[in-house]
Amino acid sequence: MSTIVRNNKDNNVSRMNHEPAVETKYLTEDGQPNVALLQDRTPGWLKANVSVVWLTIALAVLYIYSNVLPVWHTDLWGHLNYGRWIVEHRAVPQLEPTMPLARGVPFVDLPWLTQVGAYEMIQAYGVSGIQFLNGLGIVLVAGLLSFCVYGRTRNLGAALLTLVAFYWGSYQQILVVRPQLAGLVCFTFVLMMASSSRWRRWYMFAIPATFALWANVHGSFIMGLLLLGAFTVGRALDVYRHGKKWKLVLADRGVRGLLLSTELAAAAVLLNPYGIAAYAEVFAVSKNINLTSLLEWDPLTLRMKQGQAAFCLALALVAVYRMSPRRVSAREVLLLIGLGVGMLWHSRMIIWWAPATAYYLGLHTAAIWQRWHGPRTKVSRSGGLWTVVTLGIAWIAFAYTPFGVASVHGREQDPRRAEKKYRSSVSPLTPIDLTDYLKRHPPIGLVFNTYEWGDYLQWAGPDGIQVFVNSHAHLVPEQVWQDYLDVSRGSVNWQDRLDRYGVNTVVMELQGRDALIKQLEDSAAWEKKYADNKGVVFVRKHPLE
Amino acid sequence: MMKNRSSWMPLVAVQLLLVGAFGAAYLLANSETRSMVQNELPLIKAERFTPVPVDRKLPIPISRPYQRDDLISDEDLAMVLDQIQPIFDKHQMKPNFIEHALRTWGVDATFQNPKSISGADMLAFLTDSARFADSWGKEIKPFLEERPRGIGIHWGTDTGASYHHDHLLACVTEANAPLDTPIYGPSRRDATLYNVLQESMRDFRLDERETEWTAMAFGLWICPEKEWIGAEGRHYSFDLLAERLMRGERTKGVCAGTHRVYSLMLLLRLDDDFNILSPDCHKQVYHYLEGVRDAISASQFAEGYWPTNWPDGKAAVETPIDEPEYRRVIATGHHLEWMSIAPRELLIPDDQLKKAMDWCIATTRKQSREDINKMYTFYTHIGSALSNWRQVRAADYWREWEQANPYDPSREAAVFTDQADKADQAAKTDSPAEPASALESAPAVETK
Repeated sequence: MSTIVRNNKDNNVSRMNHEPAVETKYLTEDGQPNVALLQDRTPGWLKANVSVVWLTIALAVLYIYSNVLPVWHTDLWGHLNYGRWIVEHRAVPQLEPTMPLARGVPFVDLPWLTQVGAYEMIQAYGVSGIQFLNGLGIVLVAGLLSFCVYGRTRNLGAALLTLVAFYWGSYQQILVVRPQLAGLVCFTFVLMMASSSRWRRWYMFAIPATFALWANVHGSFIMGLLLLGAFTVGRALDVYRHGKKWKLVLADRGVRGLLLSTELAAAAVLLNPYGIAAYAEVFAVSKNINLTSLLEWDPLTLRMKQGQAAFCLALALVAVYRMSPRRVSAREVLLLIGLGVGMLWHSRMIIWWAPATAYYLGLHTAAIWQRWHGPRTKVSRSGGLWTVVTLGIAWIAFAYTPFGVASVHGREQDPRRAEKKYRSSVSPLTPIDLTDYLKRHPPIGLVFNTYEWGDYLQWAGPDGIQVFVNSHAHLVPEQVWQDYLDVSRGSVNWQDRLDRYGVNTVVMELQGRDALIKQLEDSAAWEKKYADNKGVVFVRKHPLE
Repeated sequence: MMKNRSSWMPLVAVQLLLVGAFGAAYLLANSETRSMVQNELPLIKAERFTPVPVDRKLPIPISRPYQRDDLISDEDLAMVLDQIQPIFDKHQMKPNFIEHALRTWGVDATFQNPKSISGADMLAFLTDSARFADSWGKEIKPFLEERPRGIGIHWGTDTGASYHHDHLLACVTEANAPLDTPIYGPSRRDATLYNVLQESMRDFRLDERETEWTAMAFGLWICPEKEWIGAEGRHYSFDLLAERLMRGERTKGVCAGTHRVYSLMLLLRLDDDFNILSPDCHKQVYHYLEGVRDAISASQFAEGYWPTNWPDGKAAVETPIDEPEYRRVIATGHHLEWMSIAPRELLIPDDQLKKAMDWCIATTRKQSREDINKMYTFYTHIGSALSNWRQVRAADYWREWEQANPYDPSREAAVFTDQADKADQAAKTDSPAEPASALESAPAVETK
């Protein structure tokens, strides 16, 4: 296999020295092509290095993990219901279309595009399609953050730290599969553009385009506008701090770019089916009284796992800022403090704080590393070979997920195996058997259900099932929501309320509903018809018409 | 210089684009979206409720289809009306009683008995804060509430409040008060009944406990409008109202579930003229009322009354519940009332009607004025029902009756003495009566 190879320059030198020329051998002695003659013609921008490979491996692990993680039993199914409705009616809803008690309630369904996409995916690939979308979203965010940190610092450790910090901070939020993840991808993309060290002209188009998409995939575009606003103000403060002249601030390319991008982004949001109502809806939802009874809208506390993660990340952030030689820009201070306060107000906001924190944690960690170890002298060798390795890893990661298998080999045809797969791909709290029971015994009239299960019952339950509430709590009329809470706690008037609403069937999750379940068991008017280790179904002995 | 100018161009262009984009988005939006946006603007904070046009000065009259003097005689009707004349102590007059009296007698009612309160005075009590204060003093919360965008009614279980949401509005409407009836709040004097109606539409919530009177009041005023938008932006319609009235266990509505039947019947009648219900909803309401008809047809006792568990049908008779008479008055009076405006197909057989009316007449006749005044609200429904079955308005009939049978103060004194004697005797011979406290407290829970 080995052979002597000389290039033309070498040949010329040999001739000058009157040495015999070495013949270029295109074939080896055993007749195979001589690969040693091959030159790496991979374009420079496509050449990877070993660090990229390691980062890709980390992302591949995250992708595979996200793809095999069972999908959470709330929210997702509600969005799929709306996606199904939109596809069937070829229009976006103007009024809530699925809950009988919310008839007439105006509905600005901003995530309509995500809902339609997810619905089409589940139709084509089953739950694995949803797992794929979820994994893809998570990896896009993690990839954007970690590659950006790597690109700016060439520090693999800092990039990996960014990835870990992001996932640790936000895993409880991204555990629930919902359109918010699409918003997070947009948020991260905008963060990367807005925080880049050099303002590029194409950002002026890319940022508004991102917002035009964002307003159709989730209502969190307002976080992006806040981000851009913080960056614009921060950049202006930085410029003023250095020059002490407002004229310089206005003339600064970065300030202008950010300001104009923010304005164009705000206008781009209007490109959605509901137009300017998108803005009003975002503010209306944030003030909705029903949401105050949901845990994720509570303030963040140390008792929560995500509170503990946030605390640790915040401590780490304080430490790196203390030690970092890197200049701290006003924009990152504004962003981190602003999002941090928001997170303390509503724990759900951690999903926006975590990526920003991870990003700056990575950048400053790299700066500390550089301070301690000096600038990197050894540059990783890059080449097409590593690109191939990277792509290979990406392909393996893709192919070894349920979605990869389904897209390459088709969906499982054997009903028993398909059923087994389905059960393993959804959260253990998903009421599959209970829903099957309801399909075999369709309930008459209104069903009082655990709020967390409303979506799934609508998605997989009998046609036209009339659920009391689903996870879109802000669409439930306030009185209905209060009555739901009272009844589900087993309050004194639970029977009277069920009578007044004409509820004939009660579907309860066992967890945390002991009081009501006990009262239903003791009641002469109700009969337990089904029970398993997740939930229970009670039916009125004499159904109301 | 040129370079400097051109560098400002993108900035100016983007500002124009921004203003243009938002301006166009706002202008192109429908009125609902605009009000939604205005509602979220902190300085404007406009409401999402859109006032509903009302194209009439007087409420829509609901005709009484039956003239059944074969079921109720002139004398019996007069006796019942005499019993429910609005004779109350002027001190701390209960709004609930006045509301019932007004809807039964009408705003133009007059009485020869000087103790009776005329329709005009009753209306003034309910619509003029000063008149209310004359009766209740100034310590109590005003009956008419001045709100930022309208005028509302103090309702609930507080002393001196109207018992039910929109009860005043419905009663005044049924009494045929014009839309421009002045409403004098504690400090405002520019409001009319129109403002009360709009405020009612503004603060209405479909899932509140009682919607019976709201349905009636809205139906009698806003037809042919059949949809409107509430304060929280929700789209309401008479379909939704009808479905809400049909929702749940039948006896759970006010007055053993009989008021919702009356409201549904009213909506069905209005639908005949104004097409306010969808065909599907019309069918559902009709079917519901058929169910009520069948239930009361089966649950009537031999004496003629209905119990409050009338939805149980035959089982209600086979296993009777123990309940005081006033509860039977509630059920029977209200059922006779809704049937008095129902189409013939929704009526029970004549013999059952006759028995019910006879029981009501006999029961009313035996009450003393004092007893009537304790349960006044329930007996007004008997008066309303019987007037309807004779195709007359109570005020008109009574006016004619008093022309032929002038008021005689001595007769009233004799009747009063006679009834007092009877009551004393009953107290001595009968088994212990229901505690007075129970009777007095009962209306607070049960009355319309």
